[in-house]
Amino acid sequence: MIHLVNVTKTFEPNTTALKDINLHIEPGEFVSIVGQSGSGKTTIARLLISEIKPSKGKVIVGGWDITNIKHRQIPLLRRQIGVVFQDFKLLPKKTVFENVAFALQVAGVAKKRINKIVPQVLKIVDLGDKLNRYPQELSGGEKQRVAIARALIHRPKILLADEPTGNLDAINSKEIIDLLLKINEFGTTVVLVSHDKDVVNGLKKRVITLEEGQISQDQKVGKYVI
Amino acid sequence: MILVTVKRSILFALQSFWRNIWLSLATIFIISLTFLSINFLVVINAISDSAIAAVKDKIDVSVYFKQDVRESKIAEMKSHMETLPQVERIVYISPDENLEVFKERRKDDLVIQEVLAELSGNPLGATLVVKAKNLSDYSEILKAIDNPAYADLIEKKSYDDHQAAIENINTITKNIKKGAWIISIMFIIIAVLIVFNTVRIAIFTHQQEIGIMKLVGATNGFIRSPFILENIFSGVIACAIAVSVIYFILSLVQPHLNNFFAGVDVNLIGYFNNNFIVIFGSQLVGIIILNIISSSLALGKYLKV
Ligand SMILES: Nc1ncnc2c1ncn2[C@@H]1O[C@H](COP(=O)(O)OP(=O)(O)OP(=O)(O)O)[C@@H](O)[C@H]1O
Ligand SMILES: [Mg+2]
Repeated sequence: MIHLVNVTKTFEPNTTALKDINLHIEPGEFVSIVGQSGSGKTTIARLLISEIKPSKGKVIVGGWDITNIKHRQIPLLRRQIGVVFQDFKLLPKKTVFENVAFALQVAGVAKKRINKIVPQVLKIVDLGDKLNRYPQELSGGEKQRVAIARALIHRPKILLADEPTGNLDAINSKEIIDLLLKINEFGTTVVLVSHDKDVVNGLKKRVITLEEGQISQDQKVGKYVI
Repeated sequence: MILVTVKRSILFALQSFWRNIWLSLATIFIISLTFLSINFLVVINAISDSAIAAVKDKIDVSVYFKQDVRESKIAEMKSHMETLPQVERIVYISPDENLEVFKERRKDDLVIQEVLAELSGNPLGATLVVKAKNLSDYSEILKAIDNPAYADLIEKKSYDDHQAAIENINTITKNIKKGAWIISIMFIIIAVLIVFNTVRIAIFTHQQEIGIMKLVGATNGFIRSPFILENIFSGVIACAIAVSVIYFILSLVQPHLNNFFAGVDVNLIGYFNNNFIVIFGSQLVGIIILNIISSSLALGKYLKV
């Protein structure tokens, strides 16, 4: 599902964020990427949605070599990868429903269909009764669940979560992780970038550890060791 | 799907228009002024064109032949002259026609009438009236008439030189046009800057939205179109305002125009009516192209990622 082949990413003038990374993630896997701050975790995530291009090497997503992806194909790629961030990235002036619907609107989906599937997806993340709330009326965990619903709305093959629990307390974090596991059970490949030792260790899934832009460990049932 | 997208773009554009209503009004105001100054140019053009056309129409060379010249000789000269590339047309006026005109013109002059009555024959000769294609062609034509071969036939020739009048019109309109151009260009530059800034501010207030749109897979076209639409919307309103103002001013000015340009028929309202689509259509297209260019420039950086 995800292939990084000899990927190096340098930022001008002289930061090497990733050094000759080789990474292979199968469809349906649940993979955690851990590492210290600045070790290159977010850089991997940004490569996968083609927000940046590798300096060297190849990036392949779902069989699609996106190393030299054309500008106008990037939107298509992003509809195949759901993304979730630490800061939720919700629009404050839109309701829960509108925030999720937004992702369909930009893809030109008809209103009727939007009205049908947005409540369905919000029900999956257990927000079926909060469609008309605004983000500031939600808890952190609920905000993140809205973001996850939005990420799922295009039925992506991959869900990419960059520190989704970074702003949440333990209970809310657990809810979000459980939700990610549930999504993974439906067949979606989940890539979780995390700092949180407890979270990662509790998963008993594959863990990839980054150190200064290189993979230092890749364990099938991993532990966050650093 | 395309229809849905278009509808959404228009909706987003309208929202943005209202959210920044003062900015939108400033944009409309400045685009209207741009339209007005450009149309001032159009008016000056129309007036000078019809003035010059009127003067040009009066210019020709008349060749008066001696009374005893045979018509065949004149016809010969006429057909020869007609081969000249500078000649637009030549009209032959027979001695009888000349006499008719003369009598008619002097019908109140009793002395002349008496003299004419006493004469048995026609004292007047034939005339050729030569019209050139361009004003500058008359010198060539006059040279051709001065050909020694014709010298015996010709009594005299007259060339009313309106060149000075035309030059006057030309210099006056040139100067007015220069001023109008400078003003128009200034307004165009201001309009570009304002549109550019309108888009910048709109982007700034929508920065977060744009970022999220990109994350969830919005195409650049989808992101860009509301901003461009918003400005096209302003352009259309500004055009409508300019059209109303122009027609209002024209309706005030028109009655005085014919007095002012004695004898020259200047129908500005008619001119604008006849060329409505060309004049305002091209200006609207111009402002829309301008909008698209400055919107794209303003957005360019944001759409890279
Ligand atoms: N746009 C950029 N320009 C220059 N350097 C950058 C840029 N983005 C990231 N970097 C550098 O690349 C390295 C890796 O950054 P990255 O964001 O991938 O770290 P991270 O592992 O996600 O860290 P954190 O856990 O703090 O989020 C860092 O040294 C960072 O300073
Ligand atoms: Mg990071």
